[in-house]
Amino acid sequence: MLSRRLTALLALSGLALAAPVAAEPWIYSDGAGQTVALDEVPQRIIASQDAAAGLIPLGIRPVGIYADGPIADAKALQGLDLSGIEIIGQAWGEVDIEKAAALEPDLVIAEYWPLDKAWSGGEKVEVALSYLAPITGVTQGASILTLIEDYEALAQSLGADLSAPQIAADKAEFSAALDAFKAAAAAKPDLTVLAVWAGADALYVAATAGSAELVDFKSWGLKLIDPEIADDRGYWETLSWENADKYQPDLIIVDNRSPTTIETARSQPTWTLMKAAAAGQVADWPAFWLRNYRHYALALNDLTTAIKAADAGLAP
Amino acid sequence: MSQEAAPHHRRRAAALGLGLLALSLALLAIIVLSMTTGARAIPLDTVWRALIAADPTATEHRIIWDLRLPRTLVGVMVGLALGLAGAVLQGATRNPLADPAILGIHSGAALFVVLGVAVLGLTQLSQYVWLAFAGAGAAMLVVYSVASLGREGATPIKLALAGAAITAVLQSIISAILLTSPRTLDEVRFWQVGSLAGRSMDIALQVCPFIAAGIVLALSVARLLDGLSMGEDVARALGQRVGLSRALAGLAAVILAGAATAAAGPIAFVGLTVPHVARAITGPSYRWILPYSMLMAPILLLGADIIGRVIAPPGEVQVGIVTAFLGAPFFIALVRRRKLAAL
Repeated sequence: MLSRRLTALLALSGLALAAPVAAEPWIYSDGAGQTVALDEVPQRIIASQDAAAGLIPLGIRPVGIYADGPIADAKALQGLDLSGIEIIGQAWGEVDIEKAAALEPDLVIAEYWPLDKAWSGGEKVEVALSYLAPITGVTQGASILTLIEDYEALAQSLGADLSAPQIAADKAEFSAALDAFKAAAAAKPDLTVLAVWAGADALYVAATAGSAELVDFKSWGLKLIDPEIADDRGYWETLSWENADKYQPDLIIVDNRSPTTIETARSQPTWTLMKAAAAGQVADWPAFWLRNYRHYALALNDLTTAIKAADAGLAP
Repeated sequence: MSQEAAPHHRRRAAALGLGLLALSLALLAIIVLSMTTGARAIPLDTVWRALIAADPTATEHRIIWDLRLPRTLVGVMVGLALGLAGAVLQGATRNPLADPAILGIHSGAALFVVLGVAVLGLTQLSQYVWLAFAGAGAAMLVVYSVASLGREGATPIKLALAGAAITAVLQSIISAILLTSPRTLDEVRFWQVGSLAGRSMDIALQVCPFIAAGIVLALSVARLLDGLSMGEDVARALGQRVGLSRALAGLAAVILAGAATAAAGPIAFVGLTVPHVARAITGPSYRWILPYSMLMAPILLLGADIIGRVIAPPGEVQVGIVTAFLGAPFFIALVRRRKLAAL
């Protein structure tokens, strides 16, 4: 009995000795307006797929990731090194809570979507994970660039070294890609672009304001067609395939989160009622998944190529 | 007795024949309506011009030819097939609740499609067709074999029980796959409800020969079904080979229901409800029930599809949802109004 107390006392004094050496408290104000305060900088992080895509290129490696779908299909994680990271969810709204608990997380990093008033993965995931560690993260806004800057600030607070050569190289590559994109858009001021998602039931036309990268493209000089009426949540206008030619853009960009979307579009007989589709002036829209300079540079380069190749006089 | 009955029979046959003519005209009318109704307003004269002198560069003409015509054709064929399949199954199994869903045909087709998407990674409707077909046939074969176990062979009650049991097994496998593979769920969601939208001419052409063969086979077993409906002993006493009759009828039903499911996904209630309405009009003879069911079902199906097209603009409601919505209360009303004719 006595010896056990003694051990406890010794352990406590050991802690007391170690305490002044430990890092300072960590404080972060998230997108939902909540502030998370921890006694020290969190080391073991569980991240949503998109948060992981924002953090990994900056040198912050989570211990666990929960994705919106099969991890192999996650565009946001393409090309990122996921070795040693436990995958604890592969469907929207689902997370393996036992695996998550076994990771003993200090912090959960997700993204806040103000239009839906929800965290990545939805309320069920948020509640389940909140028992293990506090949830925080950046907020979806009007630009992918501010999103990336928010990730940089977050990563820095978590101990990332933003002066690493790879990070600088990614940034340089992005600004070159951005200059080329702006030049290509400026060279074709009349080129109109329509962003769509295609289903077997209907064609969905994206509202520019619903997607941060579309807002970016517009601010960089691309002439995006905005649908007349968007649905309640402000993301899409639904067009029956009979009305697929309601808008006539010069270039169509198709949501590339799933490779089957473009196949579905091509299998619709009225897809080619849009002159751009008939002429093959179709490119990828990196929809909702850009979180770092590396991916953004690649996506912009693809778009620049498509803009340069497109005939701007196609639509009236 | 027979001298008195003969003119009465002839009058009745004439009336039923006139009824068939009226139904044919109604079907024609609904086909015209289907060609002229849609999310895009196209004037009648444009539709007419598109049909007689198609101009492949005119947008409206392309919508008529590429969207509405295949959709209408698939609707007519699926309707014909479902109505006939339901009537044949009810006759062959002497079970008033027999329909492609209860005998495992829908679940078999659905399981094969779900497996095709989950394992083979198929994503397009035209690839689903053969899988659905194979699945429908396989499920019916299993149901029939299970029901045939034991001394009495495949009696109506054993067929229904085997069908229900196999359906339950297949559905649980489907659920297991869909719950563990959200991507598959995402792909088959629209197919699973049953819809005529997005069906190209290829699909219509793929299933057309099967439905034609199924119609011929089904109509040719009408006499056998009449024999069966008097009870197996009577049928045997009349010199009919009961087992063979059932097998032929079952084959016709699998071909028809399999083709319908392949083209449009599992559509509920049409195959169940329509034969009862037909029976209420024609009386117990399958020589009349079959053609009546065959003409009434596409009227119901296309009608439901047209309602689905216009009820929720600018989107659409899948025909499978509309038929279930219309079919269920209609069926309840029918049950309440009169005792269903015993089979």
